[in-house]
Amino acid sequence: MELNVKLPQEILSLFQLRDKEEIRYSSPFDINRQGQFTNSSYGILTNNRLIIVEDRQIVYEKELAELSAMKCESQVNSGILVVTEKDTDTARHVARFSMKQISRFASIAKGGMLMMEGSRRTVENREYEKTCPKCGRALPGTRVCPKCEGKHVTLMKFVRLCSNYKRQFLQVALMMLFASAINLAGPIFQQRFIDDTLLSGHGNVPAVIRFILIMAVITVLSIITRYLRSLWSAKLGAGISMDIREKLYHRIQILTLSFIQDRRPGELMNRINNDSANIRKFMEDAFGSIFYQIVLMLGAIIVMLTISPGLTLLSIVFLPLAFSLSVGFRKVIHRRFHMQSKKGDDNNSALQDVISGIRVVKSFGKEQYESERFKAVSQTYANIQKNNEVFWAAFYPMLTFIMGMGIYFVTALGGFKALDGSLSLGQLLQFITYATMLYGPLGWMTHLPRMIVQMLTSLERIYDVLDEQPKIHNAEHPISREIKGDVVFKDVCFGYRSYETVLDKINFEIKKGEMIGIVGASGTGKSTLINLVMHLYDVDDGELLIDGININDYRLEDFHRQIGVVLQETFLFSDTILNNMRFAKPDATYEEIIRAAKMANAHDFICKTPNGYNTYVGEKGFNLSGGERQRIAIARAILNDPKLLILDEATSSLDTESEYLIQKALQRLTAGRTTLAIAHRLSTLKDADRLIVIDGHKIAECGTHNELLEQKGIYYQLVTAQLQMQTLKEDA
Amino acid sequence: MEQDLYAEEFDLEQMEAETEAMLALNYLDRNNSTFRRTPGGFVSLDTEDKHYARVQVFRTFPFTGKNLYISIREADEKAREIGIIHDLDQDVDEETRQMLTEQMELRYFTPIIKKVKNVKEEYGFAYFDVVTDHGPCRFAIHMSGNAVVHLTDTRLLITDLDENRFEIPDTRKLSNKELKKIGLFL
Repeated sequence: MELNVKLPQEILSLFQLRDKEEIRYSSPFDINRQGQFTNSSYGILTNNRLIIVEDRQIVYEKELAELSAMKCESQVNSGILVVTEKDTDTARHVARFSMKQISRFASIAKGGMLMMEGSRRTVENREYEKTCPKCGRALPGTRVCPKCEGKHVTLMKFVRLCSNYKRQFLQVALMMLFASAINLAGPIFQQRFIDDTLLSGHGNVPAVIRFILIMAVITVLSIITRYLRSLWSAKLGAGISMDIREKLYHRIQILTLSFIQDRRPGELMNRINNDSANIRKFMEDAFGSIFYQIVLMLGAIIVMLTISPGLTLLSIVFLPLAFSLSVGFRKVIHRRFHMQSKKGDDNNSALQDVISGIRVVKSFGKEQYESERFKAVSQTYANIQKNNEVFWAAFYPMLTFIMGMGIYFVTALGGFKALDGSLSLGQLLQFITYATMLYGPLGWMTHLPRMIVQMLTSLERIYDVLDEQPKIHNAEHPISREIKGDVVFKDVCFGYRSYETVLDKINFEIKKGEMIGIVGASGTGKSTLINLVMHLYDVDDGELLIDGININDYRLEDFHRQIGVVLQETFLFSDTILNNMRFAKPDATYEEIIRAAKMANAHDFICKTPNGYNTYVGEKGFNLSGGERQRIAIARAILNDPKLLILDEATSSLDTESEYLIQKALQRLTAGRTTLAIAHRLSTLKDADRLIVIDGHKIAECGTHNELLEQKGIYYQLVTAQLQMQTLKEDA
Repeated sequence: MEQDLYAEEFDLEQMEAETEAMLALNYLDRNNSTFRRTPGGFVSLDTEDKHYARVQVFRTFPFTGKNLYISIREADEKAREIGIIHDLDQDVDEETRQMLTEQMELRYFTPIIKKVKNVKEEYGFAYFDVVTDHGPCRFAIHMSGNAVVHLTDTRLLITDLDENRFEIPDTRKLSNKELKKIGLFL
């Protein structure tokens, strides 16, 4: 989102910028003091002042130095900007806005706070607008509006993508031309046969046979072309969509985690599957047919003109009428059936509600009430269904009749012409056949605009991902070397969003082979700290050194290969245990696999499964317990003999026995390796060489277990709180 | 060491007292509380034992009882409840009613659609052009999903793409022409 919206001249002229003063942030807001919608109101933040312009008048102006806080408070479906004035210490709401502007003002308020604190950092807002600021259309989850800006650009990119398929495109296009030519040729032979053979009075048997042979050849050719057309279109569509899928998948893999985490997982899956399928469908259904139909219609019109220009014009005159009728009809049908599907959804959800809540319904004795409620919903659905079917049955034949009106007129007028001899019988028949060719594809053509827009939208969404640049990439001359395991944080600052500080000036040194426990309340930045060590994100400020070399200088792939990670959610792929372990090291020998599994206390239970290391795990596979999955994950992490081991809540939510087994495994594992471990259960960390406590975005305490207990600080409180919980549980 | 840790940490009594306080239904009225406007456009509250420089005013039944059981809460993020006004029309004086209503109007922004000028449907979205009690407005909604919720048979709540909400309190009061325009959502 743009945080410095360009101000119109009439607003700029309301105030004078001082020397060295510049506008840092600005945004329109849409609700005025009276609660009415307004469209000439702006919140403006310069490096010195906050200025609020409401309905073209400055209603509030204050030096930043005179403010102590600036905050965007969200209300119910709206928001207000609240500032605190230093002299009186009063909170004042200065601007009010709908949800359209709330995210912008939240960022701007953070930006204001940063400026008040004297920071030079500027705030960015990576959220996308929901509707296009220019045309007001809804954006399909993309940055630019497919309708306003992206259309040509996107189409050009698509053309470039298609350029790999030049030959196939040419093939399909030529086949279309050929197919239209064959279809156009049929009626010409028919006309000749009728006029020259049947009606001429000197027709003979060989002529009839010749005609039948010609028609047979045309039919066979037309079947072959249709087959080839479908085959090649399908090949082309499948090829292009496969290309897109691969490109998308590859791009998503290399993109920074933040891009992926900003989106719902389903959304990216949709882009890979549905959007690429939309392109394929368009290629198969529409692209081939467009050429074919256009050539066919043009060809038909040309031949018709040579037979009878007058009749041709008459046929064409009816085309727009029939076209608009069919568009109108489609709209009505769409509305009606949309309603039906909506009521169908209501029906389903009512049903689902009752069935999944049947225990509640029964235990409250509400069966009768629920039955009646469902009956009412079901009744409405049935009524709409019935009405729609009646409508369809009544209107569709009528529409076909109206759309065929053109043909009736042509037949009637052509009949008169045939009677007075200016048109032969064969020509009349030929003419009518061509006229049907004009009217036939009308229904299909009304769908075309929708298909094109759908394809463009899908393309836009696809290129939205493909054009995104990964934020972390290899340095120009990346270093590949074995790491030893010294880690140094030097003034490290980081936030997932520029305005939200998660870690602030972290200074810390970890020696090779040390085990460090990271402790702190949830949401304080423990996982963030290890995300930085894993180099999933770049630090905003300061340096993170591994063996004295900046982490950014290492070749990413090499670096990642040398760290072992066990996360709280143990993710195993739908594959065998063997392949899951080999994910870390594809060329691991069986012996290495077994050694790693033994280290992780996993070998025993793996042996007991019927298929041993070949046991299939995952959704449809063998059911492993949480502890077993965890141990496989640990085995996977050590297979590579990593120098740097990261354990993020690796033992949480396990029963005592598996926790003990995993503890043991971890003890063996961490020996001699630099280890960073986050644990919720503090007992897990009692073997750590040092503990760091993160609080308030900083390292609050640091030392051994005993040292920290003596300090009686945060760690002490955390330990006592856990003991307290334990006694409460035991008492209960 | 563990033993003495149990003893000195956590005042269980205090925890229980806090839990009890959360259960109590504490009514505020003209006799035990004084609300005042603040210069910043909010309201302050003085109860018998405490002064709050700013309080928040929440509706507990925003759809079915706009002036009933108004929850008065502290202004910080925790927004702990100070008390409840049982009936805003009865329990406080006119001026207080006025200022608390203003606060609620600041908090709840659900424009009421007075007139439907146009509804255009395009590729899975519907574009509304309406006149509301807060002035004219255009917004877009998803055709699929729960953008239009029926609070009752004739009362609609519409949520747009930005998550603004609009209300049609009684569809029977719309003209036939307007009804036809929103027919798809009835």
